Amino acid sequence: MPGHKKCPTDGRSPQFSDEEVQNILTKITGLDLQKAFRPVKQELKPPTYRLMTDAQLAQATQKAIQIAKERLKMPPVLPERKPIDDVLAEDKFLEGLETVKYVFTDITYNIPHRERFIVIREPGGTLRKATWEERDRMVQLYFPREGRRLTPPPVFKEENLMVVFLQDRHEDILDLCLVQFEPDSPDYRRVHKLTYEDIDKHGKYDLLRSTRHFGGMVWYLVNGKKIDGLLIDMIQRDLIQDTASVIHLYHMLHPRGSSAKEAGEQQAQGIDLVKIFTRTESQKAGYVELALQAYQETSTERSAQSSSP
Amino acid sequence: MVHLSSLLLKHYHGGHVVIRLALGGCTNRPFYRIVAAYNKRARDSKHIEQLGSFDPLPNIYNEKLVSLNFERIKYWIACGAHPTKPVARLLGLSGFFPLHPMTVTKAERLRKTAGQKEALGAPGEVSEEASESKPETA
Repeated sequence: MPGHKKCPTDGRSPQFSDEEVQNILTKITGLDLQKAFRPVKQELKPPTYRLMTDAQLAQATQKAIQIAKERLKMPPVLPERKPIDDVLAEDKFLEGLETVKYVFTDITYNIPHRERFIVIREPGGTLRKATWEERDRMVQLYFPREGRRLTPPPVFKEENLMVVFLQDRHEDILDLCLVQFEPDSPDYRRVHKLTYEDIDKHGKYDLLRSTRHFGGMVWYLVNGKKIDGLLIDMIQRDLIQDTASVIHLYHMLHPRGSSAKEAGEQQAQGIDLVKIFTRTESQKAGYVELALQAYQETSTERSAQSSSP
Repeated sequence: MVHLSSLLLKHYHGGHVVIRLALGGCTNRPFYRIVAAYNKRARDSKHIEQLGSFDPLPNIYNEKLVSLNFERIKYWIACGAHPTKPVARLLGLSGFFPLHPMTVTKAERLRKTAGQKEALGAPGEVSEEASESKPETA
């Protein structure tokens, strides 16, 4: 059970990549082996059977858990990239020579794509650095990445995204988005925002529960202060530990809110954290309290049943 | 049996390495590779190393795509390779070399001819205006 800590001493608000934040998010994501190793569309192979002792079976499950953890690694959440408009040279006397732009890409092998020189000579004679979209296109042209297309597929337009959401395929679209766009591009952020908003609107949190996108979704919701639906869903599924973790994360990110101060005074743990939060800063306080009551009734019933012979 | 003739012909005398454009592609669709090759070799035949590419036809975004492996170009120039004029022009446009003098000269000539055409056109326009105004006034 996470204790209530003070906010970090260097004054900076917690970032997505902090160890504590990552720990909380991995714990909330859960590790459902059945969902992680669900059959993926691939070439048909006949299944292989192996005869194992109990010890070997335990080892094999350990290995499977390791691989699942690798697959569940969260993609980074980065701030939006700033546009590049750097002019290297202005040669006005070259004005009438060409009617087209020349794009010069450096194809040296051992440099990271972010540091590559991609430079454009305009017909007006200016030599400038390429914009982010042109950079992505050129890098994909000369160093093609599997699964990524030169022009983004039409799925990522607003109308088509709505259709995808109606079919409950949020996870697939997020995987596609991860392959197609860079993590700090505006398209990536827009698609993720729309997906998370739609999930929050319809309460379909379970779709992302044991996948690598769950942490990103929780981070977005906590930053936007929209965690009520998530809390209700978790309480209904009897995941009180996770609710406590979410509220702990919320206090880390908004340490000056009323809920954080009260919790700090009372040094609350677990379900008390939830109650303080519903009293102070929650938007759907009524629903959360109802869910809490229902949970407490069922837990008392269960304890009564288990205690009675 | 080892074929001795190919071993003997391997060393050129009096030749040097050049960085030039080797033509490829299909009919009505040229495509150049920027290539380090021996001077005496045929234009499209065996080269030492490919250093980039140049597509002379513009794409849908109105761009001509040029790729250059600057690290290897630096190496070959350090080894004493001579770039040809088109390659030097491209390297100058990219900013790697200073601008080629022929590029500057061509731009100046273009501007001069454009200026002359305007000058020829202007007296013609002035005389047209004068002849139009005369019948109106007359």
